[in-house]
Amino acid sequence: MKARRMARVRNQTLLFVALTIFTFVNLVPLIWAALTSIKNPADAFTIPPTVFFHPTFEFHRQVWLDRGFVRYLINSLIVSAGTVCISVPIGSLAAYALSRMPQRRASPILFGLFTIRMFPHMLLAIPFFVMGSFLNMIDTYPLLILALVAINQPFTIWLMYSFFLEIPRDLDEAAAIDGCNLWQTFRIVILPLVRPGLTVAALFSLLLSYNEFLFALVLTGIKTKTLPVAIASFGGEDVSDWSISAAGAIGIMLPIVVIMLFVQRHLVRGLTIGAVKG
Amino acid sequence: MRWQRGLWLFLVPSFGLMALVLLWPLAYAAYLSMFDYHLGSPGMRFVGLANYGQLLSEARLWQSLWTTIVIALGSVGVEFLLGFVLAFALYRLTFSVRVFMILLFLPHIITPVVATLFLKWILTSNWGLIDATLMTFNIGPPDWLGNPVWAKICVILADAWIFTPFVMLVLYAALQALDQAQIEAASIDGANSWHMIRHIILPSLVPVIVFTVSVRLMDVFRFFDAVYVLTGGGPGTATETITMYTYQLGFQLLQVGKASALGIITLVIVAAVIATFSHLLQRGYGRTG
Repeated sequence: MKARRMARVRNQTLLFVALTIFTFVNLVPLIWAALTSIKNPADAFTIPPTVFFHPTFEFHRQVWLDRGFVRYLINSLIVSAGTVCISVPIGSLAAYALSRMPQRRASPILFGLFTIRMFPHMLLAIPFFVMGSFLNMIDTYPLLILALVAINQPFTIWLMYSFFLEIPRDLDEAAAIDGCNLWQTFRIVILPLVRPGLTVAALFSLLLSYNEFLFALVLTGIKTKTLPVAIASFGGEDVSDWSISAAGAIGIMLPIVVIMLFVQRHLVRGLTIGAVKG
Repeated sequence: MRWQRGLWLFLVPSFGLMALVLLWPLAYAAYLSMFDYHLGSPGMRFVGLANYGQLLSEARLWQSLWTTIVIALGSVGVEFLLGFVLAFALYRLTFSVRVFMILLFLPHIITPVVATLFLKWILTSNWGLIDATLMTFNIGPPDWLGNPVWAKICVILADAWIFTPFVMLVLYAALQALDQAQIEAASIDGANSWHMIRHIILPSLVPVIVFTVSVRLMDVFRFFDAVYVLTGGGPGTATETITMYTYQLGFQLLQVGKASALGIITLVIVAAVIATFSHLLQRGYGRTG
C-alpha cells in the first residue's frame, strides 16, 4: 500500500515537472518579447541573453504616446464596444426565440448559422470593400462595426441559445398566465436569469472584435485603424524598432489576459461554440 | 408550450442584419465573379465564367490549394498529437491544473497578429532568439522564413502554437465527461495506461475528435493573420495559402472579379468539407448513441 502511494507521488511529481518545462518552453516567445520591451537595445541583443539589467519603460511610453498607439487603442475600443452593444442584444433576442421553438424548427436554423460561421472571411472582405467604396464608407467606424456584428452573430446566438435552454419553459408559461406579453416575458422574467450568459457573450464578443485582423485591415484607414492592424504594419521589419514593437505587442496583449481571467470558467462552452477566433 | 407566432419577430433584427451584411455581399461577390473588373478602372466587362476557367487552369491556384492542404494536415496533426498528450497529462494531474490551463491557453487567446509577431521575433534570421543562440555555438542556422521548406514548417508551427490550446481544452473537457466507472473497472482488471487510452478513452472520444478536426479544417481556409504577418506568403509563393492568394488578387492586384471567383471556389471547397464531416458526425453519433 505504501509502495503504491510512493509510486503515485512520484508519478504526480514527474507529471508536474514535465508540464512545467513544457509550459515554460511554450511561453518563451512571449517571455522574450516581454523582456525585449523593457531592455535597452544594448542589452536586448547580447547573447547569451542578459538576465540582470535595468528595466526601462521608455519604449512602452514611446509606443503609446509618441507613435500614436493611444489613438489606435481608442479606435479599437470604439469598434469593440460598438460591436458588443449591437451584437449581444440582437443575438439574445434571436437565441431566445430559437430556444422556445420546437426542436425540429430550431435545428436547421442553428445548423445554418453554423455554416455561416464557416464562411471564408476573405470571400466577404472583397464585396465589403467594393460596396464600402461605392458608399464612401471605407475608413469609417460603422462599416467595420457592421461587418464584425454580422460575423459575430452565429457565435452569440449559439452561446445565448445554450443559456436560454437551461431556463425551464414553465417560467414563460407562468409569466404568460400572469398577463405578460412576449416582450415582457423576455425582458422582465427571462433576461435577468441569463445575466451570467450575457456577460460571457459580451466578453467573448469583445475579444473577437478586439482581435479581428482581416476586416480591420481591409476596411480601415488612417482615421480608424485598430491595434492589430497598427502593430502588424509597424512590427518586425526593422530590428532597431523591435523594442518599441515589442512594447506595443505586450501592451495589446495585457487587456486580453485580464478578460481571460474573467471568462476562464466558461472557456469550454465558449470555445466549442467558436469564440475568440470567430 | 404552444409555439407563439410573435416569436418570429425576435429573429428579425439579427437575421435581417445577417441577410444585409452577409448574404447580400455574398450574392454580390458571385455577381462580381462574372466580370472582368479592376478596382479603380471605370468599366466592368461581363465575361461569364471566364474568371473561373482562367483560375482553374492556373498552376498558382493549384499550388496554393496544395499549400493549404499541407499546412492544414501538418498543423492539425501536430495540434491533435500535442493537444491530446497535454489534455491527458492535465486529466491525470491532481493539483494546480487551473494554473497550467491558463498559462497553456495564453497563445490561443491573445491577438493572433501579436502571437505571430512573438514567433517572428524568435525566428527572424540573425537577430531572432533561435539564430542568435545557435550562432553562439557556431552552428550556422538555416534561413527559417526564407527557405521554402522551412517557411512552410514555421507556418505550421505558428498555427500549432496558436491552436493546440484549443484542441487541448476541448479534449480535456471530453475526458472529464468520460464514464469514470468504466475506467476504474478497467484499471482493476489490470489495464495499463496505454491499453486504457487505446481501447477505452480514444473510442469514446471519436465524436469530439471528428467535430474538432472538422472545425479546424474549415478554419484553415480562413487562416490568414499568421501567414500575412510571418511570411506574407513568401518566399516567392511557398507559403501562399488559398486565402492569401485571394488577398493578393483582390487587394494587391485589384482584380476584384477574379478574386471574387476564387472566393466562391473556396466556399465550394469549404462546403464540401462541411458536408463530408457532418455526414461523418451523424454516422459517429448514430453508432455511439
